[in-house]
Amino acid sequence: MEAVLANLREWFQDRKQRLDLWDETQTARQDNPLYILGGLVWLSWMIVIVSGIVLMLWYIPTTTGAYRSIEHITYDIPFGWVVRGLHKYGGDMLITCITLRIYRMYFAGEYKKPGELTWMILFASLVLAMISGVTGYTLEWNQRAFWAAKVILTVPTYYDDIPLIGNLGLGHAIAYIFLGGPALGQGTLTRFYSIHFGISIVLAIVAETFFYRTRRRRLNVSAFAIVLVLVFLAFVSFINLPDLGQWANNNRTPLPVLSDWYFLALYQVVKYMPPLWAGVAPALLIGYGMLVPFLDRTKETLPTRRPFFFVVGLLAVIYWIGFSALIMLNIAVISRDPPYIWGITVVVLFAAFLWELAYRRRQARRGAASAPAPAGASRPAPRPAAS
Amino acid sequence: MKLDRRGVLKALTAIPVVGALIAVLSPFFRFLKPNDKPWGIFTITPDLPQGGAQVVGKVSQLAKPWDSFYFTYVQRFVQYTPEGQEASNVPGVAIRLPKKVRFVNSEGYVGFDGETDIVLFSRICPHLGCIYNYVSDWHEVSAGYGGFRPPGFEQHALMACPCHFSIYDPEYPDNPGNVISGPAPRGARYFRFEIHGDDIVVTGAEVGAIAQCAPGGAASPREA
Ligand code: FES
Repeated sequence: MEAVLANLREWFQDRKQRLDLWDETQTARQDNPLYILGGLVWLSWMIVIVSGIVLMLWYIPTTTGAYRSIEHITYDIPFGWVVRGLHKYGGDMLITCITLRIYRMYFAGEYKKPGELTWMILFASLVLAMISGVTGYTLEWNQRAFWAAKVILTVPTYYDDIPLIGNLGLGHAIAYIFLGGPALGQGTLTRFYSIHFGISIVLAIVAETFFYRTRRRRLNVSAFAIVLVLVFLAFVSFINLPDLGQWANNNRTPLPVLSDWYFLALYQVVKYMPPLWAGVAPALLIGYGMLVPFLDRTKETLPTRRPFFFVVGLLAVIYWIGFSALIMLNIAVISRDPPYIWGITVVVLFAAFLWELAYRRRQARRGAASAPAPAGASRPAPRPAAS
Repeated sequence: MKLDRRGVLKALTAIPVVGALIAVLSPFFRFLKPNDKPWGIFTITPDLPQGGAQVVGKVSQLAKPWDSFYFTYVQRFVQYTPEGQEASNVPGVAIRLPKKVRFVNSEGYVGFDGETDIVLFSRICPHLGCIYNYVSDWHEVSAGYGGFRPPGFEQHALMACPCHFSIYDPEYPDNPGNVISGPAPRGARYFRFEIHGDDIVVTGAEVGAIAQCAPGGAASPREA
């Protein structure tokens, strides 16, 4: 017991030492633009926090005042539009950068030792960023926000239907806690406001403590890049300020109703799945993401040398794009599509499995042919390839 | 991992400590869910709203088969508000069917005693809580709700949800309002109602879904 704990502590210390969240100095490849993503994550996060605090000066967190106050910010207050644009597009950029970085780490095998902790923190931060996203766009109190919140908060009620456990009322209790009452209303808006603000503030304090104790750089990006990002975000806000949509109407669900772009794929999946699954599947996905460093245990980092995990990642990208496209085209024949999707998934995963087996067999044969190599003297882990 | 005597004893002492911690902390969950009794958090009793009898419309509004109207039924939950309760809306639809049915669903909820050709459904989608629409022409369902084409005997007015395209048949044999396409796990929820002369009086609603916020809560002055 003691020994296990000591081991765990040692593992944790070591990974903490090599934590590489923002400055990207541990895998530095300054020549490759994919390796400024860490810095961009921090930059966009700060943009979001600062613009968010400015927005709070004018925002009114009530069901009757929220929509108007955002209109007011956008059209009446001088430079309100740019603050709102920075907040919205900064948030989008944050999620884009985290996502790209996750894919980079996945396909370059950077989540392997010693990057496990970095990967897990990054993955958890994607989840938190998405939660900030939902709670944030609910603050607009428009149709899209209202119905997205309603749908998301109805999902937990299905936890009461999990077979074998029986109805503990837990699901409804969770829903109530986030709704702040029996129905979606003022209580929900207040709680979402608190969560939206709280996530970023608490994490910012944690991050600052980390910087203070490790003396890492916050932003390992040139001043030129920073200015470029700011100008770009302001320019995008200028030419295309996000539309407020329609005021939430609790008696009419619009058709079609869409969510924010990073939820579109999930939204399409929810159409295909029984609702309990739809509540459990994201949890499984998160679980897979968090555990993948411990599932994929080889030292190989090249995608072709770990075929199975490579294909799983590829499938994730393709499904994400494919489902997003389907929902934007408003295609979902629920009686027709799911068997195809299941079929493709199973066949592809099975093929990936065979590929992995064949690859391993070939490796073993080659290993046997090239004389008894002493164990542990295999080639050192290659540097991650720029993918 | 070695389990020696010391380890076991340590683990055993941890149990009461953790238990005490939970016991001390659990009442504080009521900060998040104040309508529970001190030890009642996470118990099976659902928050049951009170509705009472409300006249929602007239039989004469439903003269011909497939005539319909929307209405709102107001329920009250016990809450920590100045009034001690909070109102919530259950939007509904009343439909005249071409023939009489027994308005009982497969969950065993009885919406009406005896046979009726007027049926009242809660428009809160049993899937994830959006408000579904009554669509009098099924072609519109095929065009707008994901391309579902009902089989011949169901080519009449249907109810369809904009969110994930669950489609309900108000006239489904032996289970009116059952889901015929889409991810919903069950049919549309019912209102319990009586008919007094020309009045349609709702006396209750099937529980389960999350209701809509109180009237005025999300009032929409700029309805489309
Ligand atoms: S909420 Fe109606 S189909 Fe999902």
